[in-house]
Amino acid sequence: MASLVSSPFTLPSSKPDQISSLSQKHFFLHSFLPKKTNNQPNSKSSLKVKCAVTGNGLFTQTTPEVRRIVPEKKDNLPTVKIVYVVLEAQYQSSLSNAVQSLNQTSNFALFEVVGYLVEELRDESTYKTFCKDLEDANIFIGSLIFVEELALKVKAAVEKERDRLDAVLVFPSMPEVMRLNKLGSFSMSQLGQSKSPFFKLFKRKKQGAGFADSMLKLVRTLPKVLKYLPSDKAQDARLYILSLQFWLGGSPDNLQNFLKMISGSYVPALKGTKIDYSDPVLFLDSGIWHPIAPSMYDDVKEYLNWYGTRRDVNEKLRGPNAPVIGLVLQRSHIVTGDESHYVAVIMELEARGAKVIPIFAGGLDFSGPVERFLIDPVTKKPMVNSVVSLTGFALVGGPARQDHPRAVEALMKLDVPYIVALPLVFQTTEEWLNSTLGLHPIQVALQVALPELDGGMEPIVFAGRDPRTGKSHALHKRVEQLCTRAIKWAELKRKSKTQKKLAITVFSFPPDKGNVGTAAYLNVFASIYSVLKDLEKDGYNVEGLPETAEALIEDVIHDKEAQFNSPNLNVAYKMSVREYQGLTPYATALEENWGKPPGNLNSDGENLLVYGKQYGNVFIGVQPTFGYEGDPMRLLFSKSASPHHGFAAYYSFVEKIFKADAVLHFGTHGSLEFMPGKQVGMSDVCYPDSLIGNIPNVYYYAANNPSEATIAKRRSYANTISYLTPPAENAGLYKGLKQLSELISSYQSLKDSGRGQQIVNSIISTAKQCNLDKDVQLPDEGEEISAKERDLVVGKVYSKIMEIESRLLPCGLHVIGEPPSAMEAVATLVNIAALDRPEDAIISLPAILAGSVGRNIEDVYRGSDKGILKDVELLRQITEASRGAISAFVERTTNKKGQVVDVADKLSSILGFGINEPWIQYLSSTKFYRADRENLRVLFEFLGECLKLVVADNELGSLKQALEGKYVEPGPGGDPIRNPKVLPTGKNIHALDPQAIPTAAAMQSAKIVVDRLIERQKVDNGGKYPETIALVLWGTDNIKTYGESLAQVLWMIGVRPVADTFGRVNRVEAVSLEELGRPRIDVVVNCSGVFRDLFINQMNLLDRAVKMVAELDEPVEQNYVRKHAFEQAQALGIEVREAATRVFSNASGSYSSNVNLAVENSSWNDEKQLQDMYLSRKSFAFDCDAPGAGMTEKRKVFEMALSTADATFQNLDSSEISLTDVSHYFDSDPTNLVQNLRKDGKKPSAYIADTTTANAQVRTLSETVRLDARTKLLNPKWYEGMMSSGYEGVREIEKRLTNTVGWSATSGQVDNWVYEEANSTFIQDENMLNRLMSTNPNSFRKLVQTFLEANGRGYWETSEDNIERLRQLYSEVEDKIEGIDR
Amino acid sequence: MTTNSLRYLHHPQYSSLKRLSTSESIPPPPSSLFIRPSSSSSSSTNNLSSTTTFSLSSTTSSTSSTTSTSQPISFDALQHHLSTQNFRQADEETRRLLIVLAGEAAEKRGYVFFSEVQFISEADLIAIDDLWKQYSSNRFGYSVQKRLWQKVDKDFTKFFLKVGWMKKLDTEVEQYNYRAFPNEFMWELNDETPEGHLPLTNALRGTQLLNSILSHPAFEGQEDDEEEGEVGGEDGAVKGLRDGAKPLSNKFFKPDYSF
Repeated sequence: MASLVSSPFTLPSSKPDQISSLSQKHFFLHSFLPKKTNNQPNSKSSLKVKCAVTGNGLFTQTTPEVRRIVPEKKDNLPTVKIVYVVLEAQYQSSLSNAVQSLNQTSNFALFEVVGYLVEELRDESTYKTFCKDLEDANIFIGSLIFVEELALKVKAAVEKERDRLDAVLVFPSMPEVMRLNKLGSFSMSQLGQSKSPFFKLFKRKKQGAGFADSMLKLVRTLPKVLKYLPSDKAQDARLYILSLQFWLGGSPDNLQNFLKMISGSYVPALKGTKIDYSDPVLFLDSGIWHPIAPSMYDDVKEYLNWYGTRRDVNEKLRGPNAPVIGLVLQRSHIVTGDESHYVAVIMELEARGAKVIPIFAGGLDFSGPVERFLIDPVTKKPMVNSVVSLTGFALVGGPARQDHPRAVEALMKLDVPYIVALPLVFQTTEEWLNSTLGLHPIQVALQVALPELDGGMEPIVFAGRDPRTGKSHALHKRVEQLCTRAIKWAELKRKSKTQKKLAITVFSFPPDKGNVGTAAYLNVFASIYSVLKDLEKDGYNVEGLPETAEALIEDVIHDKEAQFNSPNLNVAYKMSVREYQGLTPYATALEENWGKPPGNLNSDGENLLVYGKQYGNVFIGVQPTFGYEGDPMRLLFSKSASPHHGFAAYYSFVEKIFKADAVLHFGTHGSLEFMPGKQVGMSDVCYPDSLIGNIPNVYYYAANNPSEATIAKRRSYANTISYLTPPAENAGLYKGLKQLSELISSYQSLKDSGRGQQIVNSIISTAKQCNLDKDVQLPDEGEEISAKERDLVVGKVYSKIMEIESRLLPCGLHVIGEPPSAMEAVATLVNIAALDRPEDAIISLPAILAGSVGRNIEDVYRGSDKGILKDVELLRQITEASRGAISAFVERTTNKKGQVVDVADKLSSILGFGINEPWIQYLSSTKFYRADRENLRVLFEFLGECLKLVVADNELGSLKQALEGKYVEPGPGGDPIRNPKVLPTGKNIHALDPQAIPTAAAMQSAKIVVDRLIERQKVDNGGKYPETIALVLWGTDNIKTYGESLAQVLWMIGVRPVADTFGRVNRVEAVSLEELGRPRIDVVVNCSGVFRDLFINQMNLLDRAVKMVAELDEPVEQNYVRKHAFEQAQALGIEVREAATRVFSNASGSYSSNVNLAVENSSWNDEKQLQDMYLSRKSFAFDCDAPGAGMTEKRKVFEMALSTADATFQNLDSSEISLTDVSHYFDSDPTNLVQNLRKDGKKPSAYIADTTTANAQVRTLSETVRLDARTKLLNPKWYEGMMSSGYEGVREIEKRLTNTVGWSATSGQVDNWVYEEANSTFIQDENMLNRLMSTNPNSFRKLVQTFLEANGRGYWETSEDNIERLRQLYSEVEDKIEGIDR
Repeated sequence: MTTNSLRYLHHPQYSSLKRLSTSESIPPPPSSLFIRPSSSSSSSTNNLSSTTTFSLSSTTSSTSSTTSTSQPISFDALQHHLSTQNFRQADEETRRLLIVLAGEAAEKRGYVFFSEVQFISEADLIAIDDLWKQYSSNRFGYSVQKRLWQKVDKDFTKFFLKVGWMKKLDTEVEQYNYRAFPNEFMWELNDETPEGHLPLTNALRGTQLLNSILSHPAFEGQEDDEEEGEVGGEDGAVKGLRDGAKPLSNKFFKPDYSF
């Protein structure tokens, strides 16, 4: 038996010993990236546990002392002390210069200066020095202070000294800091409140990048403004504006004059001294700059004329046929002379044969300059082939208030690939190199996440920062990477379609022949086929493409035979080891993990093998897998393993032998972007960066998975193109469930006749057959019960049945280029219509309908949940009427073929005649005929828009745009039901501004869920509050819901988020115990690796919140966080603050607990091993007191915190992904683990919240597993839908069963009947069995194996006959696969 | 060559304002990353031969407009510093010379743009290189650097490591950072000093300037006699070198296929 169950990956049973010996080796645990061991004298350091930073634990260790200039006393000259705080380090050298030359030349005063980079103020001792410096300062200068936490610190410190200071000058910053401005009688303390015309200028544009730009405008409209001011004030205001001009002019000369002017006018010691200064030297606000051009240009034609006369470059570069790259630069870097990194990029591009048009702007809005300088004013065509922004900022708004629609509009006009690279701002080069996180989280939020909303790609760190001078410098390898990639994108615009080479990459995960072409919700081969047909029509060379999609599969997985018998897929290329090493510069680095090439993965022992098939200029290849899926050692102990040689060989082949112009990763998702490296901001040694090399990466990604899509964007530079999930349908009812619903309807009509009791008895017995007795408390059969009780029993069963019936599930698999028909969209529209959208003044259809019969929909939901028969019935009627009305509407907007005809036209004609409105017609024959017509009209207008978007097909169109080097419109990813802006698909998916969550609305919904959860737990737990809840934070969930689950955590511990002026959430405050009305519940937060990557700032926020709550002076019985933190601090001998560590995740650059891989590959011994895996990979904590240290292992605290958990909890974020659809839900479930850790050994309650529908639910885990099994695995509608997708459908069925076993393993919450019914559905049914076996024998074998495993591991008790049959089947299918004929 | 007048022509509104003072006129603050070019107050210009042909320029190879002014350039200061083993000064002087040789525009700017290297004559570069070699027993100099660079297949990271311009960081992953100028560089010639360590060329602005210097016709074929023996000893020396993608910049270069 054992041998039958074990997969080829299972190790011999002596494992536990090896594991314990291995676990001693820190080396294995911590060296997640390889280290060459050859002749490095200090190679011993690889054994050390190396923290990302030392010292203060912050992100930057630089000190302001390098910026301090103290003049030598001479001639009794007075000293003027200047203290400045800036975001832009580029001012440092310019200011130092200015002060040094002043001290050399001036005969009136000496200048002492010290500067702080805003990030340094996080450090307590630096902050103290700052405050101290202010005490005897004369002048304070601040600029671009937009990080709230730090802005408040600056404000507090300067405010204290403001009256004493001679001058306070703050240039564009948060209003709180701006208000500090003071120059004689000129003050900004009234900013935002005063009605004076002066301040109106600042207020004029609340939206967009207005603030900084109106300051610039102010500078320009100076005389006009001064007219409004009284004359004495006019002088001070004039000097303020001059100061701004000097500052924006940034050169040392300007700054010298600036300091002369300010000190001469305002420093008392210099009163009466005549100090001459020159007027500011003004540079263009925006224009074109080239380091060797004689001047700046504000006309692109003039610039190009000059370019054409350059003697230093050859004809080719000057001529019209060179690729042209537009660069976007920050003016302040140019005027302060800190432009080495810009010059590096310009030189690199020109040396590689590309012409450059480097444009700059001084404001924060680059959309105007982009349109002005990069688009030909006459032809409206772009003058460039691709654009690289070197600012790192969003196109409109910089670090202040962004305006993404405006940016997108400008970029759509430009219509070329748009890359946003970035220089280091908050970290020095070495700090970035040392950090496993990579980029500083604030920079990630400002300069990676925000540009993504503009459609920006490829966040490559191209410049470092020198700790002493603060100057930017090129990172030569990064600059090379950036420039070659920019040129490759530009070439896509220039090359002809027939020439273009495309490498389509498919996945095979877990590695098994039955899995080639795996992608969530996607029929991959049918999609590839449809894409290739379309490209062929468009002029691409796909010579030899077979006639059908099936033939395509056969070609790639070798031949028909290969489904059954072949060791390998089709080999497209054999690469000798020597060739491999020549093509792959990082090959030696892989040897630490994988030994000498070729190794045994993707190899024949001599050569490395690239699997796939080439048609003309298109190569379809199979991406190798991680390679350690079946290796429990690595699953357990490696933070991450490097790619293996076969993996590297694949990408070397694509880039250097096939010479792809672009690679198309096909579907959600592969392994490339999850390879080890920094989280964000790749360096030369990060694998995703090295692997993708210089190939433009286009990636088809499921629209509902924005979080992982974002990882692909950031780590493998993907231009993601969203695809739709398959059309959802209602689960419907089948078999016994259908009978039940019929019985209930006859009960309703006959209940008052004498047959009531009899029907109830049938209902009870049928419900028991359907295993509903675990979900609803059923009386014994034959027991006499009162009419009222009968209603309640029936009501409860009814409510369960309706829940199952109306569940949405995606049926079948999506094919690219085949949007759903209008009628297929009905179920989706019904769900879209079920949500209130207050922001658009839309009332949900159920609410309108309930209102028409005098009910409040919320009350109906509550009543239905409780099983009140009449409410259940009313809800059913509402649901039915909603479907009917929407179907009637959709029918009217489609033609005979079922295609949507112009919805807009139809709608207006419909809307013209009230009586003809199809929904009114439909509703007139129901009890809801009085529904509010105006509300309905608003709603249906919105639904009409949604319908148009659902059926729009832009997936192929966007792919073609990307391949032609055009701009792909960005759009949010997420759930189309919640956020119809996700539609139409075919957009470059982005996440959201990480600092924008949780929103107020999310907080509102979170409260409801938390309150229900706590109520539910109290009911199940003898009225006691849970002390601790262990929960999981998912990236996608938080994107889709704008931070609902994040808000849930905050509400559990009783704090609320506080937004700053720009609506960004960087702070929390405690809710009083009175308001909370219950104790603060402790939490153990397990963040997914993806959440960690996307929302490290929010982890920081959570950790601060937890620590704040632990330190509140409150009785411990009212504050469980404090209670536990005290206990843990005592037990571990640490501070309470440190003990209050509750926010955990994986180590940086590593994802998942690997429990999923172990389960999928059956490569685990016992549950203990899975739990060890979970603990060893998930116990890395984020510490807000040492954020720069990244993720630090704190296993002891993790275990102690988990041991207090009374409940475990997760959120379901969308209807189409539920518990058994993916492996990651059980992968992160700690239920059984908590039981093991608890002192009393009690199993915690396990809950799942479901906010996918208007009526949010908190269910127990086992209820949810049952619901899932009933609606998917056991539902004929679902599995027949899958079977219709053939080969890939069988795999989907098998995956559900495997994931169900996963739940047994991690939580033990799967009922026996689920396996039993699955067995009778798929195995006992001969017909079904034969279909499965012949369609995809490899997946069928895995299915049989999983059944046997469920039994072998004790999760499924069944008859010996059943087991015998499975064993027999296993060897049959094995023989078939091995090709042994009987 | 016109400089600022153009701007005033195009933008009359600025005509009353002073011209942009770029940082070249100010003494640089201490800086790291190899080098920041020193200010070049010297106004000496060169008088170059105009006989060389330039790889990047297909226009006339005449450099007359940048080199129109008199005064042959003097290498005396360089020779003096080198002969007294004052490598720090020699290094500064070399950089200054390079800027001066590259032309008036480079002098104004304070650094050499990569495409200006072609305007430097073979003779001048060779003269500088010869001095370095002469006073370092052939351990320093551009031609020495070129040989090392070619040996690592023109991979600048490997080259920087070899000549000691980058240092290894103490991280789990093998990583390198640039050395800080001037303290982390070696200003003496002894057994510890890596071959090719001097003269330094700025990497603040990437590697194209150094690329242009090392690819200058002045250094073609010079390294032949020193080619033997060592090639291929490096782990990476065999990589990429043979894939043919590399332009053959040196007809005398003898590739070594041994492992």
